Amino acid sequence: MSREKDDIKRLVKADNHIQKVVAEYGLDCFPQEFDVIPAQKMLEIMSYNLPVNYSHWSFGRDYEKQRTQYEYSGGIPYEVVLNSNPSRAFLMRTNPYPIQVLVMAHVYGHNDFMKNNIYFGRTRRDMLTSASESAGRLRKYEEDYGIDAVERLIDAAQAIQMHIEADLFQESAIEPEVDPKKRPPRVGSPFSDLFDFDGRLTSKSFDEKREEARKLRKKIPAEPDADMMGFIMKHSPREFEEWELDVLSVIRDQSIYFMPQRKTKVMNEGWASFWHMRIMSRLFQDGFLTPEEHGFYNLYNARVLASNPFGLNPYLLGVKTFLNIEKRYNAGQFGPEWERSESPDKWEIDLNVGKGMEKVFEVRRTHMDWFFLDEFMNRQVVDDSELYIFGSKQQGNVEEFTVEETNWSTIKDLVVRSFAHSGVPLIKVNDGDYGGKRELYLRHFYDGLTLEEEYARQTLRHVYSLWDRPVHLETVEVEGNSETRIQLTYDGKGFSKINLGSFLKE
Amino acid sequence: MTVRQVDWDFSKRGQEDVARHQKKIKDSIRENIADVISEESIISRKKGQTVKIPIRGIKSYQFIYGKRKGGGEGGGGYGLGHGKKDKGDVIGRRPAPDGEGQGPGKGGKPADAAGEDYMETEVDIEELIQMMMDDLQLPDLRRKEIAETVVPSGWSFEDVEKHGLKPNLDKKRSFRNALKRTADAVSKLAEKTGKPLELCQKALNKFKGDYQKALELLNTPHPETELLDEEDKLKPFIQHNDLRYRVVKENLETHSNAVILAMMDVSGSMSTTKKYLARSFFFWMVEFLKHKYRNVEIRFIAHTSEAKLVDEDEFFHKGESGGTICASAYDLACNLIDSDYPPAKWNIYAFHFSDGEDWDPAKTMVSVKRLMDKNPNMVGYGEIRTEVAYGQQLMRNFEESFSLERYTSYRDSDFEYYLGQRAELPLAGVILKNKGHVYPALKVFFSKEKRV
Repeated sequence: MSREKDDIKRLVKADNHIQKVVAEYGLDCFPQEFDVIPAQKMLEIMSYNLPVNYSHWSFGRDYEKQRTQYEYSGGIPYEVVLNSNPSRAFLMRTNPYPIQVLVMAHVYGHNDFMKNNIYFGRTRRDMLTSASESAGRLRKYEEDYGIDAVERLIDAAQAIQMHIEADLFQESAIEPEVDPKKRPPRVGSPFSDLFDFDGRLTSKSFDEKREEARKLRKKIPAEPDADMMGFIMKHSPREFEEWELDVLSVIRDQSIYFMPQRKTKVMNEGWASFWHMRIMSRLFQDGFLTPEEHGFYNLYNARVLASNPFGLNPYLLGVKTFLNIEKRYNAGQFGPEWERSESPDKWEIDLNVGKGMEKVFEVRRTHMDWFFLDEFMNRQVVDDSELYIFGSKQQGNVEEFTVEETNWSTIKDLVVRSFAHSGVPLIKVNDGDYGGKRELYLRHFYDGLTLEEEYARQTLRHVYSLWDRPVHLETVEVEGNSETRIQLTYDGKGFSKINLGSFLKE
Repeated sequence: MTVRQVDWDFSKRGQEDVARHQKKIKDSIRENIADVISEESIISRKKGQTVKIPIRGIKSYQFIYGKRKGGGEGGGGYGLGHGKKDKGDVIGRRPAPDGEGQGPGKGGKPADAAGEDYMETEVDIEELIQMMMDDLQLPDLRRKEIAETVVPSGWSFEDVEKHGLKPNLDKKRSFRNALKRTADAVSKLAEKTGKPLELCQKALNKFKGDYQKALELLNTPHPETELLDEEDKLKPFIQHNDLRYRVVKENLETHSNAVILAMMDVSGSMSTTKKYLARSFFFWMVEFLKHKYRNVEIRFIAHTSEAKLVDEDEFFHKGESGGTICASAYDLACNLIDSDYPPAKWNIYAFHFSDGEDWDPAKTMVSVKRLMDKNPNMVGYGEIRTEVAYGQQLMRNFEESFSLERYTSYRDSDFEYYLGQRAELPLAGVILKNKGHVYPALKVFFSKEKRV
């Protein structure tokens, strides 16, 4: 027990020192809180995304996966920091001291980022309390309506939770759509006819509504709507119960809450790594870390920034990009003229203008991954992070993975494309009254990357369960060099697919 | 303070949701049991009662980007990776996902990279059997349905009584009773007389356990003078009612034995794949019968134009050339029953697999009849047609000779099976075209309700 107290004292000392260094470097942070928690709780937070969240089997699956990974990893410096004010971060009790310090330093980077990056500007900073409350409500729904009914709804909601669009710069969009407690009684609810003295309140029959809509020739939505989830909640022919709308709102709100994080994964991790490296060297210089502890840190830092042969490491790509920006802007390697230059000598220019720090701080404020990578990923960044594209080939009984591409601009092209819309295929609601039968028509805005068909089919089933009428998805299939537009339909019983002709770029 | 230790009360939510997920996996196994049970990893497991089977993980479906199609010969799937590599460098290999009976790749990583969401789940064979039993409505362990034989298995002491024959005296128990009673007497004496325990013990020892006499002496003014020479050790004095006798009983054991006579055509036309179906079937047959009977034996009869007893390995893995006379196998089975497995003591399950070719089907039918006359519990014939069937089909002869009725289960990818029309004819035929047919075949053979 007293050892634990000593450990905490040491961490408090480290925290104080880091705070001093952080202030000197000009990072601008929310007050920071660290909770030292058991490994099990840490893994739980990581799989539930929040310290307390609603129940769902998928969290159980992820929790089990995390646990297995943890048991086999031999201690990766896990870090969880939540976007809130004050910023809340967690340290795994079992981690050795140098790792705790590394995580703390890293967390201050995230803290600064989440406070200052404009995409975080309007996020709710009270999600922890809100999630804990909704967890209670959802549990209650399980008791009242059965676990299966709640689970089916969550399954469906999670299937489309990435298809939200909230204007991150507008207050109203971030606020929950409707507070379930304040929602007025639904017109057409079982009790509405009690008050319906003159028939004004009675909802019009569906046919009447449709007829009306047709007369008005008002297309719903007027423009293709990327907020599929919001659209379904508002316009679904399925009359959602209040509790169902609440469940959908909870999931939608969380998805909105995490949207800035999804949009800035590479930047956020890159920024945090950029700073933890600096802070840790400083702590070592100040004699705050012993050489042995510093060595230990180096070992783990290398693991954080390790080259994953089969996947993109956002920490690595992010930090290499920020370092490159800093270097170039210190040396004066920027500006339209420099950009246009084909000369290899342009990388050697050093005008010593010292604008590096200023630039990285500016970029951390204004950018998100998609634009960040598009603007700042260059030949050097690709080389520094040793990126390649690999493919797989079947060779008899063996599937072989080989490097297919090392050309930097091809790689950049793929990376940028896969970060467009945070890696979520752009699918918009094209029509909520397709064929005049209130069927749902979704359209995938194809940009060279096709959808995984099995996933698309299963997701369509979920959409159907929310919409209650046939759902259509227009997308593109690629066979060899030909791109074909297709329309995939699920009508509650089965799938059908029609060919819409070849795809022509608009 | 900005750093604090938090002792979270451990919410059960994590564990609860793990259990919810586990249940979903079980449900998925149950749903796909026909595929699961024919997994090679189960059949070929070396030891132990758990198996790892690759099951598709329970996925969270969303609209996601797919693998790239085309792009080079047999190419598929791409991803980004880090490392100092040149074009064409091999960065990893794994068993091909589409290869027959192949599990997921070792080392996980490439599997993740290529988006294959396989999970290996450890499953108890027992649990699988339980699932199948629910589904198959297996004749559970209903005693009267099982032929049991009662065999004396020696003698044993079953009980203890106060009266009996001297040779059956339970000395240890009698001695223990006496010791306990004496100790009780000593403390009772001490309580009544207020004298120390040692003195009471001495008194009791002097009168060889006589409580009354010891009590009288202790009540005299100076008993210690009388007891100087006595030991104060606790001695048991055995009395008549301390004695215990053991009761001997003859043990009778109910033996429930089953023998599986596994017969198979091993001529050249029976490929490894064909034999695999038979193997899978026999594996589960043995597992099921183990549930019914204490002792399950399996005898392997391989035949071409002649039949012989072989071991398991030879049965499943070695092929021979030669003609095909199925009758030879049925004849050998009959002989085995006569010599080793009298039907009064054994439950007999005979099953024969072939690809339908037989040089003398008429003779085979005679031999099958002979086998049926031995009163076996069940006889089954499985015709394996993994390729398009041509030429002769022995199933036809079964159909005609025993007037079997033919059924097709469309649910199980057109699985065909044949049943005897009389209840007392325990004969069934199945046609196995693929792995998925193993499970319905088991159903035909084992479910009480014969129709699949």
